[in-house]
Amino acid sequence: MNAVQTFKLTKEFDGLVAVNGIDLEIKKGELFSLLGPNGAGKTTTIRMLCCLVKPTAGTASILGHDVVRTPFAVKNLIGVSPQETILSERLNCWENLALIGRVHGLSPSAVRERSKELLETMGLTERARDQVRKFSGGMKRRLSIAMALVSDPQVLFLDEPTLGLDPQARRTIWEYIAGLKGKKTILLTTHYMEEADSLSDRIGIIDEGKVVALGTSQELKTNVFKMRNMVVSTGNLTAEVITDLHRKYSRVAVTKGELKISHEDLDFKEIVDYLHSRGVTVHSATLEQPTLEDVFIQITGKKLRD
Amino acid sequence: MKFWTIGKRNLKEIYRNPVLLGFLLGMPVAFMLVFVAAAGGAQASPIALSIVDEDHSQKSSLFIQYLGVAGAIKPTEPIYSEESQAQQALEDGSISIYLLIPSGFAYAQQTQQPINLELVYKSTDPMMGLQLKLIIEAVGSEFLGVAPPLNVELKGAESEIKNPAVNFYFPGIAIFGLMILVSTAAQLIAGDREKGFLSRMFTTPARPWDFILGYSLPFIPVLIISALIYLGVGMGLGLTIVGNQGLGYAFLVFFLIGLCSIGIGMIVGSLVKSESQAGVSWLFIVPVAMISGAWFTVDRMPSVLKSIAGALPFIHAIDASRAVINGSPVSAIVFDLYWLAGWTIVLFTVGIAVFRRTMVS
Repeated sequence: MNAVQTFKLTKEFDGLVAVNGIDLEIKKGELFSLLGPNGAGKTTTIRMLCCLVKPTAGTASILGHDVVRTPFAVKNLIGVSPQETILSERLNCWENLALIGRVHGLSPSAVRERSKELLETMGLTERARDQVRKFSGGMKRRLSIAMALVSDPQVLFLDEPTLGLDPQARRTIWEYIAGLKGKKTILLTTHYMEEADSLSDRIGIIDEGKVVALGTSQELKTNVFKMRNMVVSTGNLTAEVITDLHRKYSRVAVTKGELKISHEDLDFKEIVDYLHSRGVTVHSATLEQPTLEDVFIQITGKKLRD
Repeated sequence: MKFWTIGKRNLKEIYRNPVLLGFLLGMPVAFMLVFVAAAGGAQASPIALSIVDEDHSQKSSLFIQYLGVAGAIKPTEPIYSEESQAQQALEDGSISIYLLIPSGFAYAQQTQQPINLELVYKSTDPMMGLQLKLIIEAVGSEFLGVAPPLNVELKGAESEIKNPAVNFYFPGIAIFGLMILVSTAAQLIAGDREKGFLSRMFTTPARPWDFILGYSLPFIPVLIISALIYLGVGMGLGLTIVGNQGLGYAFLVFFLIGLCSIGIGMIVGSLVKSESQAGVSWLFIVPVAMISGAWFTVDRMPSVLKSIAGALPFIHAIDASRAVINGSPVSAIVFDLYWLAGWTIVLFTVGIAVFRRTMVS
């Protein structure tokens, strides 16, 4: 049984298709990242999986429980950290955690124990008794994630968990999420490619409500991204050689004696051989690894979304 | 027990918000002050007088019209044809004084015999009755011609009420004050929806009734304190509670109508999207208070409005609390109590049903 399973999951809002027939299978203990531009359907997908939005068509289940027919069985199993940091502003950390923990049916002592541990991890122990409305954005965000974890959920939904955080806070949260890997099933959405790259077991890229790429980070980089960059440090480039290269390759740029060539399925050896044949000295030549961001931009395009 | 957890959170959100707390608890006091100002100003206007015409003659009808022309008296509709009806109204507290024109009024005038009218009031304060007695004697002698002597006998119905005006207006004002809970309760829910807090809570296993009960719970102490403030300040300002059961039953009626108000607030709060939208509650509160007789007597209101008001719980609460405060036995308000309890159950059931629909979009 998969932790998260969807079949042609679809949501239409007044004729606008937000999610268009998504099929997802996330295994127990897997950390799955959902990437996509703004408005691609990430949050709507998560909201359907959390029983907040009713699918127009298709099905979704969490650990075998259907989100439409048995929402309360699903809600017992999940923990959600919403995109906007939502806390009860006049409660302190303990009280916020107790609210969620008790509503999930935990005993007061279990809530206290869990809360103590989470406040420690999130570095909130010192301010635990202060009303949270006085907190910084980072502290609120950390508490919000702690609230998603207090019930010890089997499936965790983290919608943009590090959005708007400083690098220190972001790293703390990444480390914590990395520590949960294998123990919990995690569905993460993010705009930070580095975050998805380093944390995820698998990545799904969605755009315009559809899954457009799916696989491990490495698979996406090698199978999906065909464009390769090569950087050559040369001594004696001639205008004639550059014109020739321009004709053969998609993108050629020369800066401070450095030649940069981009082309789909670029052949490293062919270029080096060609330069030698034209009498160009090659000091060094490197083939750049594509980044996840390269993959993302290639798939979803450069147009601004919203 | 989940509702308890949610309720505790909401109680904290309220008592840690000084503006909201000040509004909730300052409201009863402010209301009583407005009420005193309003009741004080009422003395300048013509005195409303209910009339029993047992003579049913043309002469007696003309006399009643003539009383109104003088401007100091305002005969109120309906004109009762039997004294028992007026006695009942006096007992309920819906009227405070009536003039009895006995049968044989026209005959006595024709035959130049002495005419005896009775002015019956439920009050230990004789001022209004004395004023009326003098006015009726003067106006009556003028209407009838000076020849036959006209006697107006002032009879106090047995009563301990010190200030009939306060006893008459108090229930309506207090219940209007409790109707504010509609708006406050709606705001709490709508505000949490607007902030996304409810959306977050909807990912937890809490059920619709956990939310409705959890959001109502913190208003119960507010309701109890408000009701006690109304009764306490009212008594301090001259409210007489007749008999030793009146206070308890008035509190019970206030408590039930407060629950109805919270229930309506739960429905409004479930229907609107934001805290500012919860202001629509006032579109309900003000007209309903008006037709339920919160501010002035609704005896002369058109029958359609009377039926609407009679179907809603508020007029029952005002009438019932007025009756028990003025010493009516509990048996007189049993129907009203059932009506209020029934509405409470209906409103909370509807509230849960409406709320459930908002949990998934």
